[in-house]
Formats: sequence, structure tokens, C-alpha cells
Amino acid sequence: MSAEDPGFFLQNQSTRIGYSWKVPVEHLDYGYIEKCKDVKYLEKILRVLRSGDEGIYPHLINFCESHLEKLDPTSRVLRKETPVATAASLPHNEWSQIVDGLKRWQEETKKTETLLKQQSMFDDLVKEDMPPMRGSNCSIPLSQTSVPKRNLSKHAVPRDYREWDKFDVEKECESIDGNSVKNDPAAVINTGHPKIKTKVDASLLTQQEKLLLSNRETDKGNEAFRAKDYEEAVAYYSRSLSIIPTLAAYNNRAQAEINLKQWHNAMRDCLRVLKLEPGNKKALLNRARVYNHMGNFQMAAEDLRMVLREEPQNAAATQLLSETEKKMKECPPEPHSKGKKILIQEVEEEDDNKNDPNAKQTACPVEPSQPVGGEESSAAPAEKGDMGNAQKKPHSRGDGGPHSEFNNSNQGHWRSKGGSSDKYKVTQESKEKVANGTGKRGSTASVPADQSSNSKETPVRGNAGGTVNLDAPCGALPPPLARLKNEGNLLFKNGQFADALEKYSQAIQGFTDSGIDSPEDLCILYSNRAACYLKDGNSQECVQDCTRALELQSFSLKPLLRRAMAYESMERYRQAYVDYKTVLQIDTSVQAAHDSVNRITRLLIEQDGPEWRDKLPNIPLVPLSAQQHRREEPPSAEVLKARAEKAAIDAERKAEVRFTALKQEGNDFVKKGQYSDALGKYTECLKLKPEECTIYTNRALCYLKLDRFTEAKQDCDAALKVEPSNKKAFYRRAMANKGLKDYLACSSDLQEVLQQDPNVQEAEKELEEVTVLLRQSLANANNSAAKPRTTVPITEVEGDEETAGVPTSESSHRGEDVIVNLQPTNACQFGQALNAARSSRNTAACADLLASTAPEMLPNFLSTQLDANNISFIIQALDYHLLEKDPNLVYQHLNNLHTTDRFSVVLMLLEKNERHHLTQLFEHLSAVQSTEFTKNDVQNLANKYI
Amino acid sequence: MKRSRVRRTRRRRSYIGRFFCYFYKNNSTVLHIVSQTANMSSPLAKPQIIAHLQKSLNYTVFDTKWIPCSAKFVCMGNFPRGTGVMQIYEVEHGDAQLIKEVEKPKPIKCGTFGATSLQQRHIATGDFEGNLNIWNLEMPEVPVYTVKAHKEIVNSIDAVGGLGIGDGAPEIVTGSRDGTVKVWDPRQKDSPVANMEPMEGETKRDCWTVAFGHAFNDQDRCVCAGYDNGDIKLFDLRNMSLRWETNIKNGVCCVEFDRKDISMNKLVATSLEGKFHVFDMRTQHPTKGFASVSEKANKSTIWQVRHLPQNRDIFMTAGGAGNLHLWKYEYPAQRSKKGSDNKDVGVAGSVSLLQTATLSTQPIASLDWSPDKQGLCVCSGFDQSVRVLIVTKLNVV
Repeated sequence: MSAEDPGFFLQNQSTRIGYSWKVPVEHLDYGYIEKCKDVKYLEKILRVLRSGDEGIYPHLINFCESHLEKLDPTSRVLRKETPVATAASLPHNEWSQIVDGLKRWQEETKKTETLLKQQSMFDDLVKEDMPPMRGSNCSIPLSQTSVPKRNLSKHAVPRDYREWDKFDVEKECESIDGNSVKNDPAAVINTGHPKIKTKVDASLLTQQEKLLLSNRETDKGNEAFRAKDYEEAVAYYSRSLSIIPTLAAYNNRAQAEINLKQWHNAMRDCLRVLKLEPGNKKALLNRARVYNHMGNFQMAAEDLRMVLREEPQNAAATQLLSETEKKMKECPPEPHSKGKKILIQEVEEEDDNKNDPNAKQTACPVEPSQPVGGEESSAAPAEKGDMGNAQKKPHSRGDGGPHSEFNNSNQGHWRSKGGSSDKYKVTQESKEKVANGTGKRGSTASVPADQSSNSKETPVRGNAGGTVNLDAPCGALPPPLARLKNEGNLLFKNGQFADALEKYSQAIQGFTDSGIDSPEDLCILYSNRAACYLKDGNSQECVQDCTRALELQSFSLKPLLRRAMAYESMERYRQAYVDYKTVLQIDTSVQAAHDSVNRITRLLIEQDGPEWRDKLPNIPLVPLSAQQHRREEPPSAEVLKARAEKAAIDAERKAEVRFTALKQEGNDFVKKGQYSDALGKYTECLKLKPEECTIYTNRALCYLKLDRFTEAKQDCDAALKVEPSNKKAFYRRAMANKGLKDYLACSSDLQEVLQQDPNVQEAEKELEEVTVLLRQSLANANNSAAKPRTTVPITEVEGDEETAGVPTSESSHRGEDVIVNLQPTNACQFGQALNAARSSRNTAACADLLASTAPEMLPNFLSTQLDANNISFIIQALDYHLLEKDPNLVYQHLNNLHTTDRFSVVLMLLEKNERHHLTQLFEHLSAVQSTEFTKNDVQNLANKYI
Repeated sequence: MKRSRVRRTRRRRSYIGRFFCYFYKNNSTVLHIVSQTANMSSPLAKPQIIAHLQKSLNYTVFDTKWIPCSAKFVCMGNFPRGTGVMQIYEVEHGDAQLIKEVEKPKPIKCGTFGATSLQQRHIATGDFEGNLNIWNLEMPEVPVYTVKAHKEIVNSIDAVGGLGIGDGAPEIVTGSRDGTVKVWDPRQKDSPVANMEPMEGETKRDCWTVAFGHAFNDQDRCVCAGYDNGDIKLFDLRNMSLRWETNIKNGVCCVEFDRKDISMNKLVATSLEGKFHVFDMRTQHPTKGFASVSEKANKSTIWQVRHLPQNRDIFMTAGGAGNLHLWKYEYPAQRSKKGSDNKDVGVAGSVSLLQTATLSTQPIASLDWSPDKQGLCVCSGFDQSVRVLIVTKLNVV
């Protein structure tokens, strides 16, 4: 072995011939190489071997290479010059795939390119938002600006005696410390993400550009994610989403947020994806992770099972599920309160978004403001928690089974049409479906079961709908057996299959012992026991029981279906196929059977080849009597009832769809600002569903925007009736009340909002404003009522100014291009403002201007602007607007106005109707009672004008 | 019930597995050949570099660039008679077809699309006389913008702010033999917006390469320049200062940031003697600067390095012996740590070789990944030919 000098080694590398003596010939040997563990030495041996100085031994070289690769697969010596691969060096199909991909890309790019060109024809516009240029010709020195740091104050001058008085030891020490620290700049870390904008303004871009850009941002996000820089990843995903929202970006962002432990954000993203695509596996997996971390193991497990149902070999889901289940066992139930809290918050968030339809997210076609899906999907599982059965075994197929089926198993065929398809369907959205399904079906099931007890077809078949009543009579069974059966049903429902099995076995035993002749009941018992076996995975027994049941009653649906499932699980696909086919002959609507037949067909083709059908046992022909017999029967009362019910459910569903559509349209209109259109949509919505709180609040918003405050208030009241704590409704009612000038009610509503959520800033702002208004209105009321001589509180003036401010801001918002400078500080500004107002004949603006001008400054400001037109304009403004608000100010203005230079001259130039305005103003003014001036004062003043 | 479902699916999977084995066996002869030529332990797992097209040219080609959002690329070079040339080729039906050829008075050394919009797609080029020109490739007769940028040849050009890459103004940076690096804004005539030149009395070094980076918002932007003496300088355009410099002992042939429009993440610098350095640009220590890892591809010069536009951690180097190396950078567990002086120091990751291929005996002088199609790249060498390559399985590494 060698412990060689690296210098030698390097030399050897460069000029390997001539140094071969460093490797003794005996080392070029299989045995030695095999034992050698020194990578460097092996590399050297390999070089010697390759050089061919000691002869060429291809096998030994190969051996040495493979041995070296085992020790160090990344060794540089193993890198070889390889000619570039060509099409021929790839498997044919792989190459054709590549070529196809290339061809497709070429075609696509051609299209995008022509599109881009077309666009560039039209908008060759200079982008205005382009950032400015850098300064011109700035020079950057190539070397570090190491300006020789000569310490200028080398010689410390002794301090002046007076300075010593002010000497602060602490400060001096600090500055010395500070100096020493400052010498070294801190490390620069480019984490960067706080500076990354999370929004991209893509409004100017074309669709192609947006797509490219959003993909690139997603790529950046992915890279940051891989580099474990999750914050940056989130920023880039957000950028991508702000350009074009895609499911993938939402999913990835959720994942990054999970890594950042931002559970709520992650949850929101998951819900968004699930709203767009209900069965999205990644989103489900992510949501499960979030649930898991929030301690809501139940929900997590459900999501995971759903994923596994879709993709059983998903390793991540399996692992997480086992973890979750372990945790679930460790800290059993009661996770609901927690879970619920989250859900409510979530809903609020959504609501918040929706509330703000003006917040423009134009680039976002997937508006987060449709909480329908989200609310439902999140609400459904919460509901489900109440149903013990669904909760315990949510993954088992046909949860609804025990309810309906056990109550009226055989005779209940007519219902299986509606029921079974729902029951056995295992679809993506099954979670909600199953939950809702069980809920609805559970409740509806008991009703027809009750009815069926007095139908003639099934004489006295008992119903065990009420699970409490264990002694309910059961068909022709004697009470003890009926009790056993009911107990069995109950246990089955609770998921205790083994116990249920025992009960059924006892019942069957008792049945045969007592020698009753009622094949139907025995058939049901066998069928039920078969169900237990099936659940327990005992397919053998299940098949036996089903066969027995079928002997008693051939072509009954349930046993056939169960036997088929059992066969399938035993991988006896042919038998299963036959049974499923038989089931379908009896009732073609059993979805589970359809699915299974398809699946098995595929398997059989794989197994047996194209002649698979020949190997099948005969499929029994189902006699017509058994085939869909409920159709041939005259529609009995309960059938009609059931149909009606079904129709009702259908209608309900349709209404639901229509409702969401309408609501969406309404929301869209609101976003566009077309409130009256939105109003119509919402009203239609309410016709369909008068109990929907959000619609009321939304419509209230429209009314508010249309200034129809009374209606808005009514809607809010209605919303609050439905949901007494809806803060949106409170807030909007407050706004309506404000519009109706009922400030008291308004402030109480606002307080209510703030009590519920102290973070609502608008509410706080409104409340402040309204309190001022309230105080003012109270003061006004007091004034007019009794005490005309009380001093005017200062607040009133403030209030006045504020109210005076509001209309102007409104008028300027309305887009009249008058920009009135409300705080003129010199004559020029005042003149400009006045002219602006006058040119648009906006007396209100002028009034505001005057209101904000101090009366004593008026002559100064006006001096250059004084002409007849202006005077009459000011008079009009004072008369129409300012007089009712603040007569004192009007008086003062008038009192000052006539002191302006040249006033008397201008006065003479006034025309007749203008003079008429003037007299009117004084008449009005004298009619006003005020503390600051009397009628006489007004009269005196009038004399100066007229 | 559930158990049985699982069993069933497992069974189904095994069918697939068997099918796959069958397929595998059938192709094993082919695969064997591949594995011999490419010398790989698991040929299916690694990316492959495949020569798709090759065109021989009648001029020396210095640079090739894909036209964004198209299947076309531009070749720039030098006719033997001493004039410049630009050719546009389109990849179509398994062939590269010449669409347009324009001759220019001066040989063109380098070009970039980085400062143009997707709609316009104007190319900015630097030539042997030191001119910076911007051409509309639809009408390439007259330049859209022209300026005498340098006294001598423009060795390298890069741009940012266009194509949606990088916020902020569109800017072009040129590096020249006259030792200066200048930043241009196409909206400003005649004078650069920033000029990085040696002070009076300093020796002028030949600037071989320039690159933009750090353009993740409106203000921040960096230019990195490499010089013939091994100097690498990083200029901060926001503060208009030299932010960092180092020397890698050998002439710097090419520098590139892994992405221009993110907060500086990595910088790769290749050198004359076959080594390249990867700097982790996230953490800058006041004295130690940036952490780096170096790797030697070959004994010959590495002329170019280009990061995959779709994945910043994969890059290809083009070497002087006509070979290509595909690398992947792996991040360390912690990208920064506290140094002995209690300041953050960056930690470099590692670089692993994914694939190599030898294209010719002459150096590969330029390389460009297609920004639109992952794995497609064009390269040109001094053997007067241009090649379109396909690199497979980049999405799985």
C-alpha cells in the first residue's frame, strides 16, 4: 500500500510515463486490486494499466474499474471521453417519443410565435411603467475603493476646561466601543425574500407571455423549494399565482407553507385547489398534513384514505396515515372542537375576501370569493363527526348500507335504485357525498321503512329504523329472534362486526331450531351475516352464507352483490364476474357492479387473453319476474311517494346548482360594479333559497352601493335573523343606518362588529366618524329644542368641516375634472380654485372653498379676482350651500367681502338677476337666528350691498 | 374488505412489473450497446446527451442563441473574408433550415436577447470593432440601436430586464478587451449608464466575460465580470460600487449566475485551465467573501457554462477538447454557518457529474439552452459547425 506524497502524485498525473515504477508490477494483479482499499492508489494502478506500459490487459482494466467504482463511484479516473449519443443509441420507442415531443413543441411554438407577432403589430407601445434609466455614465472603480484611511485626528488635542464640565463618561465609552465594532461590516446575507414583490403586474401582457412568465415563476419557486428556502419559494409561487393561478402552484405553495408551519395559509391553498378540483390528491395530502399538525387526526385520516382510495400505492399517504392513526390512538377523540375552530376561521377568511369585491384581482380568474364549495366541503366533514358509523369506518364501501338495507332488505329493492348507486359509488368526492348521503339517507330511510310496514307486499316487516327499539318486531320472527337480529344490526352499524356476527349466528340457530317456515327472513339473516363476514375479510364464509341465502331466495340482490365482492376479494374473478352480471340483470343501476364488472373484465383479459369469455361459467338467466320487478308492479303508493321524494331531491340539487350559478353571477357583477344587475341575481337567488345569509349580506352591499339604505337595512335584518352573529350583516346595517342618518343604531351596530372582531379597521374608522356625527346630531337636536343660547361647542365646527370635506371628495371622485384646492394659502391658489369651481359651475365646491377660508383673509385673496361674475358666483355658493350649514360664517364672509378693493365699482356692474340673488341671500340670512349677529346687523350689511 | 382491496392492487402492480421486465429484456441488447458507449451503470436513470442535428458552416461561428418563443436560433460569426455574419436557422422536420443570412461589415463576437420584449425579440450584438448594435431580425439591414461601445473587441455581452426576466429597466452589459465593462440602456443614446473602467495608472486587463444577476426587484442588480488574469469582480449597480472581488489564478473564460432574476444564489466561473468554481452567493462574509467549490472537468479550457433555464441547479460546461459536461449542484444541509468570528459564512455544496459527451476535437465556444423546450440546446464549435443537442431526463435528476 502506499502513502504517497501528493506532489509526486500530481506529477504522476501529468506525466504518467516514466513514473510507472512507482507501482510495482506485482500490484497489477487481480488479487492485489481486489484487496486494495486505497482509492488514490487504485486510480494510479488504473492509469498504469491504461497506459499500456506493462502490457494491455483489458479484463484486468475492467476489473480494476469496476472495483474502483465500488469504492468511489464518483472518481475522476472513471470519467471517460464518450462520443455524443445519437438517435441510434437510444431505444427506438424512446427516441420516437423524444422526436414526437420535439415536433409538438415546434408546432406549438410556431403558433405562439405567430400570435406574438400579430400582437406586436398592434401594440408597439412603449411601456410606460418601465423603470427609469440609471444615471448617465456613472463610473465604478475597478478596485475596492480603499481610500487610504489616514486618521486625521492622530494627535488628540487636550480638552478645554469648559468641555470637561460636559464630559459624559458613559457616552464616551460607548462611542469608543462603537468604533471598534464599526470597523468590521457584518456579513451580508442575501436572503432576499422580504424584498421580493409577491405580485407581478401582468396586466399589460398577452396570454402567451403570462403563461411563460407564470411558468418561470413556478420554476423559481420549485428551485427555491428544493434549496429549502421555503419563504422564497412561497414568494415565487405567489408571483406565479398573481399572473395566472394554477393548481400546481397552489399545491406547491401549500407545501412550502406547510414547511414554514403556516398552517392557515396552507389550508387556504388546499381548499382553493379542492374547490377547483375536488379530488386533487396532492391537495388532499397537504390538507391531511395540515390537519395532522393541527391535531385534527380524524380529518387527516379521512383525507389520507381518500388519497389511498385513488392511488393505493401512494407511499407518503400510507406512511402519514399510519402515523395519524397512531396519534389518534394516543389522544382519542375530542379533536373536534379544535378542528371546528379552524374551519370557522377559514370560512371567515373566505367571507372576508368576498366582502371586498372591489379589491381588484383581475388577473385572477379563480376568484377566492365563492365560498360555496369551500364552505360545504369543510362543513360536511364536521357534520359527519356526529355519525358514529361514518366516523369509524369511513373507508368501507357503502356506509349507508346498514341503515337502509338492514331495515328492509329484500323488499326494499325499489329503493335500491336511488340508494345503491349512491351507496356503492366510491368516487372522488365520496367524502362529502358519503357524509351527506348518510345524513340524508339515514333520515329519509326511516320514513319509507315506516310506511312499508303497512304495505301489502311486505306484510308486517318490522323496521328497526329507530335503533333504540331493539324489541321492534322483525318480519315473521318471534320476538327473541327479532331482538337478536336488531341487536346484530345495531352492532353492525357501530362497526362491531364480530359481535354482530355472533348475534346473527344465534338468530339463525334459533330460527332453525324453532322451525319457522319463513325463507325470506332466514335469507335476510344469512345475507346480513354474510355482510359481517365480508367486513371481517372472511370471504370464504361470506360466500357460503350468500349461497345459502340465494338457495332460499334466488336472485335476491344483496346476497348476490356480497358474494360477488367476496369472490372478487378471493381473486376468483370469473365467479365474481358472473355474480356481478347477475346483479346487473336484476338491477342495472347498481353502480358498484358496473365498476367492478369493468375492472374484472380488464383483469380477466389480462389473465386469460382474448378468449376469456369462453372460460366463464354460465351466467344464469334471471327470470323476468326477478328482473327489475319493481317496474312491472303497479306503482304503489309508497313507490309514488319515493319517486316524488326523489324528484324533490333532484329539484333541490338542481336548485342548488342554479343557486350557485346565480350567486356567482351576482358576485361577478358586484366585482364589475354593476350593482343593479347583481341585485337582480341575488334576488333570484333568494327566491331559490330564502335562508341564505351571505346572499342577504351581498344584496345589502348592492343596495348600499345604490344608496337604497332602507332596503339594505331590511336585508341585513333578514341576514341577522338567519345568522344572528354575522358581522358583515352588522357592518352593512351600520352603513345603511348611517345612510339613513340613524347614527345611534349605526354606532351600536359598529360596536357589535368590533366586539366580534376587534381587527376590523374599517369598522373602527366608521365608528369614530359616526360618533362625531352622533354627537353633532345630538347637539343639534338640543340646540333646536331648548337652549338656543348655549355656547356653540367647538366640536361642532370641526364636525362641520368634516362634513363639508366629504361632498368635495365625493365630487372629485365622481370624476368631474374639478380639482379644488381646499386649503388655499395665497391669492393665487384661491383664484385658481375659484376659477376651477366657477368654470364647472360647481357652487358646492366654491362653498367648500369658502368654508375653509378664513373670512378675514377673503378680501386679500379676492382682490385680484374681483369681478361681477365672481361676486355673483360667491353669493350663490353662500346662498345655496353654506347658509344652511353655517350662517355665522356666511355673515362673516359678507362682512369682510365688502371691504375688498374696488368692491363698490364691481357692485355697480352686477346685473339684475345677480342683484336678485343678493337680496335673496340677505333675506335668508335675516331669517336665520344666530348668536353672533342680529337682524339689525344683517340690515346694516345689506345696505352696503344693495 | 380493505385488506382484500390492497391485495388486489398489489397483484395488478405485479402484472405491470412483469410486463416491464419483458420489455426490458427485449431491449437489453440495445441497452447494452448504449451502456457501453456511455459507460454508465444504469443507463436509463441518467440524462443522455444526444446529437440531434449538425450543420457545417462556411464561416467561423462565435456565438449561437435561441430566439425566445420559437424553434429558431441565430448564429453569429466571421466570414473568412473578414466580414461579420448572422444566420437564422429554424429547427423543423428533423433538420435545421437556413431562413435568413445577413452580412455585416465587422465580425460579430457575441449576442443576447436579454433586454428585449417577447414581442420584439431584438438581438443585441457586440462586434470586433467594439460596436454594440441592436437588430430587428425581421429587418436586419439597419440596426435599431448602435453605439461605439468600446475601443476594442466586445468579448462578451449579457442583458437583463427583457423577456420578463428580471424586474427593472432593460440593460445590456458589454465587456471588452479595452478593459472596461459598460452597462447600456437601449433608451439612452451614445453613452453608457454605468462604466466600470480601470483608474488612471491601473493596468488594463482584458475582460473576457460579463454576466447580469441579482435582478430580483426594481433597484437591485449586479454585474459580474471575469478577466484574463483570473480576476472576478462583482459590481453592485444599485450602490454603484465594487461589491466583491476574487482571483481564481487562471483566466476567467465564462461567468454565469444560475438565474438572473432572483436574489443572487450561485455563480459559476470557468477558467482557462479546465477548472470551474461554483460560488454560493447567498452569504457574503466581510473578509472571506463567498464560499465556493471547484471541480475539474478536463484538462482543457472550459469555454462556456450555461445553466438550464428550467432548473438552476443543473448546468453544462463546454470544453476546449470539444466535450460537454453536464453537472448538478447539490446544496449542503445548511447553507450558512457561524464562523469563528461569529459572522455568517457560506457553506458550499457539492457538484456531481451527470453526463459527458465529446462532440468534436475542436473547442465548443458557445452553448445555449432553449428557454422554451427543456433539454434542447444549441452549440457551436471552432470546427465550423453548429449542433442541436437534446438532453433527456432532465426533469428526473
